[in-house]
Amino acid sequence: MKSLYLTFHVYLAFARKSFQKQMQYRVANLAGLTTNFFFLLVQVFVYIAFYKASTEPQPLSIDDIITYFVLCQASLMLMPLWGGREIADTIKNGSVALQLTKPVDFQTYWFVDECGRAYYYLFMRGLPTFLISNLFFTVTIPQQPSVLLAFAVSMVLAIFMSAAITITIFSTAFWTLDTTGISGIAASVITFFSGMLVPIALWPEWLAHIAGWLPFGGLIDIPFSIYLGKLAGIEIWIAIGKQTAWCLFFMGFGRVLLSRGFSRLVIQGG
Amino acid sequence: MIEVNDLSKDFKVYHHRKGFFGSFVNLFSRKHRIVQAVDKVSFTVARGEIVGYLGPNGAGKSTTIKMLTGILVPSSGSVTVNGYIPHRQRKENAKHIGVVFGQRSHLWFDLPVQESFELLQRIYRIPEAEYRQNVEVFEELLNLGDFFRTPVRQLSLGQRMRADIAAALLHNPDVLFLDEPTIGLDVVAKARIRQFIQRINTERQVTVVLTTHDLDDVEKLCKRVILIDNARLRFDGELTALRRLLSTERLLSVDYAEAYPDVSIPNADIVYQEGARVQYRFSPEEISAADLIGTILKKFRIVDVSIQEPDIEDLIKTVYEDNLTLERKLAEPLSPDI
Repeated sequence: MKSLYLTFHVYLAFARKSFQKQMQYRVANLAGLTTNFFFLLVQVFVYIAFYKASTEPQPLSIDDIITYFVLCQASLMLMPLWGGREIADTIKNGSVALQLTKPVDFQTYWFVDECGRAYYYLFMRGLPTFLISNLFFTVTIPQQPSVLLAFAVSMVLAIFMSAAITITIFSTAFWTLDTTGISGIAASVITFFSGMLVPIALWPEWLAHIAGWLPFGGLIDIPFSIYLGKLAGIEIWIAIGKQTAWCLFFMGFGRVLLSRGFSRLVIQGG
Repeated sequence: MIEVNDLSKDFKVYHHRKGFFGSFVNLFSRKHRIVQAVDKVSFTVARGEIVGYLGPNGAGKSTTIKMLTGILVPSSGSVTVNGYIPHRQRKENAKHIGVVFGQRSHLWFDLPVQESFELLQRIYRIPEAEYRQNVEVFEELLNLGDFFRTPVRQLSLGQRMRADIAAALLHNPDVLFLDEPTIGLDVVAKARIRQFIQRINTERQVTVVLTTHDLDDVEKLCKRVILIDNARLRFDGELTALRRLLSTERLLSVDYAEAYPDVSIPNADIVYQEGARVQYRFSPEEISAADLIGTILKKFRIVDVSIQEPDIEDLIKTVYEDNLTLERKLAEPLSPDI
């Protein structure tokens, strides 16, 4: 038990350092914040224009849409593939071998590193984006504490899933060396099927059905649907269960991939 | 402390076809050949030794170090370090060794040195008192104080190297592997690092395995050297023995009392002559230094005389260029020293 606590302590320290590491790039973050806000304006005004042109009833109100995109921009940096370059780089230049001389577990190490990065962006990018947006738009805030709690849990799971996906994708560097191709494809698939571009609620039914079978809704669609109160009661539990399952899937898959990558490295010398 | 038996490592090297069509064919069929990076190398290192592991580029030095540190799995043969098999007990082994690769840093690029050290403290579970004490000692010996709070990416090469070596020793490892620790450093930085290694070795009985191309490192630090070339072990023994084995020629410099017109001596060649100063080359097998000086004294009056040993750089060059010489010599018994 004590050893488990100590292990937890080590990885907690890694997450904290990862947070600190990001602190070094404060100006970059400020620039990013501006970009986020600019994109938010574009997205919101496009949707306002659409809504004004349409007379049909929509599954999401305009206030919902605005809130949805504010949340999207606020959590942009928590999505997969923003971090993790380091993983691909250390594999590519071989310094990953050097890390084998340290008594740590790599997947856990990279996982907490990603989480530390995500929490930095949650507070330093997400929160400011959210607060500034409040000055310009009406952003709805859920009134029920249970909804807020469910949203918080779902958001944490989204971050875990994002980290697990990032590690899985970048560990393909063991075989491909250049991950630009695969991460490019993954980025477009993730952006689309998470509901980041167009909320899944607005999709045609058949496409939304496909999205339901894919993991990526767990990154955006599930937590924000909970936030907007579009899911209730048992639906919330099912959605969170789905997120957890996909999260475990990516962690397991990533672990298999990594251990195969490492055994290839130690036998073939990379 | 370290036992290596018939250790071998082969790599598959893929044959890449040239040109556009060739790279297309590469996708479907790849030919490879087996390259032996290390071939049946055996040696043991006792606790507290400093061993220089030398060889030209591509000889198999780094591959051996990687097998000793658990980064590579041997193709055949056995390794134990501290009683652990590095590639099977990677994490256990890692707790008891320190590793420094001169070309790469172990530290976190974006973090200050101090933060990196604190992370290492957590990773290796170093007790607070031990950690404090080590940091204090290393700070003083390596002058880390000036840049202890600077992010690693802003450090000079010399500073980074010092930080890296201290980082590798924080958890009081029993064995320290240094792969080219002085590469690219200036003379002062090199001297400081050598002094530090020496001190750690004597005070803490840390076993050190050092690979380097800098022969000053070897002369200053290693009593024992292991030479490897073309994946095979060529020599394992005391540095002085290696020198004796290979020193076919020595230099004798003489300052005469006056500039004699003819200073030729049998069995010795004049390398240069400048006024009263003359340098001879001689082979100890033909004439001993004592006999040579005796002959000179009978003929001339001298002011000063000195004998120069060949430096190991030359010795090792001989070994690299002419393996046969060494093998032939190794077969013969050692000739008594003069």
